[in-house]
Amino acid sequence: MGGKRLMVLLAVLLVAAMVLAACPQPTPEKIVETVVVTKEVEKIVKETVEVQKIITKEIEKTVVVTPTPTPEGAYVERAYRQAIFEDLTTTNFWSAYGPDSTVWNYYVLTNFYPSLYGYSDQRFDWVPSLAADFPTELEQEGDYWVSTVKMKEGATWSDGEPITAEDVAFTANTALELKLTDNWEAAYDPEYLDRVEAVDTYTVKFYFKKKPGLSRWQFGSAMAPILPKHYWEPVVQEAKKALEGVDPNDEEAYNKALEDARKTLYSYVPEGEPSGGAFVFSKWEKGAFAEMTRNDNWAFKGQHIVEYANGAYYEEVPGWYEFCAYGDCSGDTVLDYTVGPYVTSVLFNLYGSQDAAVLALQKGEVDFLLNPLGLQVGLAQQLEGAGGFKVIRNPSNGFRYLGFNFERYPQDIKEFREAVAYLIDKEFITQRLLQGAALPVYTLVPEGNSFWFNPDVPKIGQGMSREERVNKAVELLKAAGFTWDKEPKWDPDKRAVDPGEGLKMPNGEPMPQFEILAPSAGYDPMRATAAIWIEKWLNEVGIPAKANLTGFNVIVQKVFVEGDFDMWILGWGLSLYPDYLCDFFTTGSGFNVGKYSNPDFDAMCEEFLGETDINAARDKAFKLQEVLAEELPYVTLFTAPIVEAYPADTVQFPYTEVLDGIQNMNGMPSSVKLLK
Amino acid sequence: MTRYVLRRLVQIIITFFLFQTLTFFLLYAQPGDITDQYLLNPNIPPETRERIRAELGLDKPPYLQYIQYLRNFMTGNLGVSFSNYPRPVIDVIAERLPRTLVLFFTATVISFYVGFALGKILAWRRGGLFEYGTTIFGVTMYTVFTPWFALMMIWLFAFKFDWFPTGKFITPSFWRDAPVSANEVFHRMIYTGIAGGVVSVIAYTLLRRVPPPLRYVAGWLSVGIGALTTIAPWLRSPLGPYALDIIWHMILPIMTLTLISFAGTMLLTRNSLLETMREDYILAARAKGLPEKVVRDKHAARTALLPVVTSFVFSLAFAIDGGVITETIFSWPGMGLTLLSAVTQEDIPLAMGAFSFTGILALLAHLVADILYAYLDPRIRYT
Repeated sequence: MGGKRLMVLLAVLLVAAMVLAACPQPTPEKIVETVVVTKEVEKIVKETVEVQKIITKEIEKTVVVTPTPTPEGAYVERAYRQAIFEDLTTTNFWSAYGPDSTVWNYYVLTNFYPSLYGYSDQRFDWVPSLAADFPTELEQEGDYWVSTVKMKEGATWSDGEPITAEDVAFTANTALELKLTDNWEAAYDPEYLDRVEAVDTYTVKFYFKKKPGLSRWQFGSAMAPILPKHYWEPVVQEAKKALEGVDPNDEEAYNKALEDARKTLYSYVPEGEPSGGAFVFSKWEKGAFAEMTRNDNWAFKGQHIVEYANGAYYEEVPGWYEFCAYGDCSGDTVLDYTVGPYVTSVLFNLYGSQDAAVLALQKGEVDFLLNPLGLQVGLAQQLEGAGGFKVIRNPSNGFRYLGFNFERYPQDIKEFREAVAYLIDKEFITQRLLQGAALPVYTLVPEGNSFWFNPDVPKIGQGMSREERVNKAVELLKAAGFTWDKEPKWDPDKRAVDPGEGLKMPNGEPMPQFEILAPSAGYDPMRATAAIWIEKWLNEVGIPAKANLTGFNVIVQKVFVEGDFDMWILGWGLSLYPDYLCDFFTTGSGFNVGKYSNPDFDAMCEEFLGETDINAARDKAFKLQEVLAEELPYVTLFTAPIVEAYPADTVQFPYTEVLDGIQNMNGMPSSVKLLK
Repeated sequence: MTRYVLRRLVQIIITFFLFQTLTFFLLYAQPGDITDQYLLNPNIPPETRERIRAELGLDKPPYLQYIQYLRNFMTGNLGVSFSNYPRPVIDVIAERLPRTLVLFFTATVISFYVGFALGKILAWRRGGLFEYGTTIFGVTMYTVFTPWFALMMIWLFAFKFDWFPTGKFITPSFWRDAPVSANEVFHRMIYTGIAGGVVSVIAYTLLRRVPPPLRYVAGWLSVGIGALTTIAPWLRSPLGPYALDIIWHMILPIMTLTLISFAGTMLLTRNSLLETMREDYILAARAKGLPEKVVRDKHAARTALLPVVTSFVFSLAFAIDGGVITETIFSWPGMGLTLLSAVTQEDIPLAMGAFSFTGILALLAHLVADILYAYLDPRIRYT
């Protein structure tokens, strides 16, 4: 029996040891040094003066030693190691920008392909990249709308070949001729773009079938990736063989031939493909890591970028070019840095879980974690507690929302939607329930997208108490003709709502029970929590809502395919240019699943999408936001910031405040400095 | 016996056909398809999604898709993976299978060996501290929350002690200039493992003819010869250090898998052996005055081995599936994660391909177990 007891005791101790091991106490990094303090004391004795040397006892003193700061600009040249969480699926960019468009492919492969225009750092101004300046105004030339872009002379691919207008035309025309899908179709939209021609070595001309707006031209084709013609031409020619002898008028046969051609193109495994970016792809060890090494022929190496407080943008590559736009390039600066690359290569190490990657980060095996969702809150706290890590939080360009089905009465009644919006306490959800892990969102353009965000859009319900919300909702519903058998009232004694019962719609019929589809807690605890509380708040005023927490695929299927739903809660990741406002709510759009229909809004969208002037487009985007805030086809709920962390004594980024976090800049491989 | 095997093979084919049918329609019954991802991308117009659906054959009715799938399967064509478009499924499986096999086969063999050896000792030394201690430890490990335990192992041995890497199957910095891919080394490891096993068996069979006093030595000699066959080619090979790097990365996951799963075999062996020990022939062996070790290993253990061998053969078959948790925590992407992502992304061809491999191996494992039964237990004869 004694043995048994001993075993039980041992088992308990084992379990306790495991639990203790699981809870490591974070300790700040400090150096304890023993200091011998020698103190001379003058002791004054009456009448006689004597000096007595007293040696105090040895004491232990804790001194927190701050590492000597690295001199400004000093860095070590080594590989920059980033953790990724899913493997690449291809190294063929035609495929990666097409059917294999995963974020993990993007993180690696988008480093190699230049574009005519791009976004500036932090502010996301539209600025020339390979283009020498802004394009010419769109003008009509016969049946086409045309615009010409002059390219910078001197940029080369990594193999020394110049990057020319031929490369631009080749990439665009290949996408158009082979009807490449996915992002290619968005970049070179065949509904608008007819062809691209190289006028001379460094001049390229875009021919549009109809006048394109900013989204199709400036933020579309002009920003699309460019691939090296001299490398890909034989592969594309091989792919096009599938089209030989096939009559384009025979739709079925031609589509089949196009499919075969695309398959040939996507299947090609590139080796030694030249790069037009700061790095060249060098190795992919499937399931383990990918690597890109520094491109010593990169023309933009040492590029100096300055952003001014007055909104002006300046960049230069000494001895090559200077460029200034958006105002007077002088005065106070908000960003000033020089592009590298300062690292010899970039390693993308594959990890199966964030936990393992965070341990690797703490151990010094990786320098940064690339993850579109950022760090989990618990892991960020773990790193904060460990010391030596800088944890950063950036707004994300996306939101979670509640959508209405306008084909289901009474959701088409504006006051009903407004009442729902007032009842949803976003501050309570984000601050109390989600403990600050999310931020409330009031407009369809998140605040982080500062250029397009309209700060004057009314923030429904912000700062209101529960009582005020309930009273306002009841007032709105009454105004729309809703009635109750028992009207909901705020009970000041109980500090709660005395729930309403028997809600009747303006047509006199009892309000039927309806469903709010939302992702289950396993998929997204934030939306699941929000859905449960929304159900509760609606029920309080007698609206018979029922949250149905279900699989993400089920919601997508019901809402976007079958159209069999009442309300739903999902989220959107957004583009910077807010043409999604029109995609989501224009009559007849495939993404307008709630079937919101407003001819005025449709007309405004048409104007916005056709707008070619960025400031005029901004004004129109502001108006669209105002209309949507009033009409409420969606009630935007909240957004989760992107949390990231890096070892502050090892990694130095030129800036860390950026929409969607550093991951959105691929971890800044061309400008990061490694301090040790 | 031949008739029995043939009959079983026919049964296996019918069962496999039913398995394929059920799996296909279960996968198809999931809401939506892989092109649902485009529904949430405003850059992809609905017409494009329809075109992609048609390209992948998803616009056809399920029964037509199934017939097409079966037709392709019969000709050895597993189709094209939707999530790795346009890579053939067989390519994706061939890429991920070797690393799964090397890790999970090794872990399964070690775990069974440890479990079987401990089970024998437990049954023979009942009531002692060793039995209680080992049983409690084994059961604790068997029921421990695997993700937590695996993380603890990494935290302790990789992070705190720095003895092993935190995950992955290779060290990127070491492999940057490797002359071959990791899969090439995995392939060679598998070949040498098979060669070592075959040589061991042949050596053991030949050396069994050695007279009894030397037979014990013969056993160890066969193991030694097998080990030498496995290791010798690597010693002079330029790929030796790369194989060593993989083995170094295998230690922690294998330790974890062994600790988690050895108790199952241990308890099975113990119980089976306790049953066997009650048999009359064990009493007779003892009455003859045979040493305890001989009674245990030669008389009792062989009979007790039957259920353990069955369990072992099945485990080997399912090792092809890998393990989602192990692969995730130890960053060892293999068949487990492939299967999971194929199912969640509704990549039906890839999921069907992975399931087909598992199904074939599981069914063959049943056949092998039945044949092994007859070999291990002379009382069993199939007609």
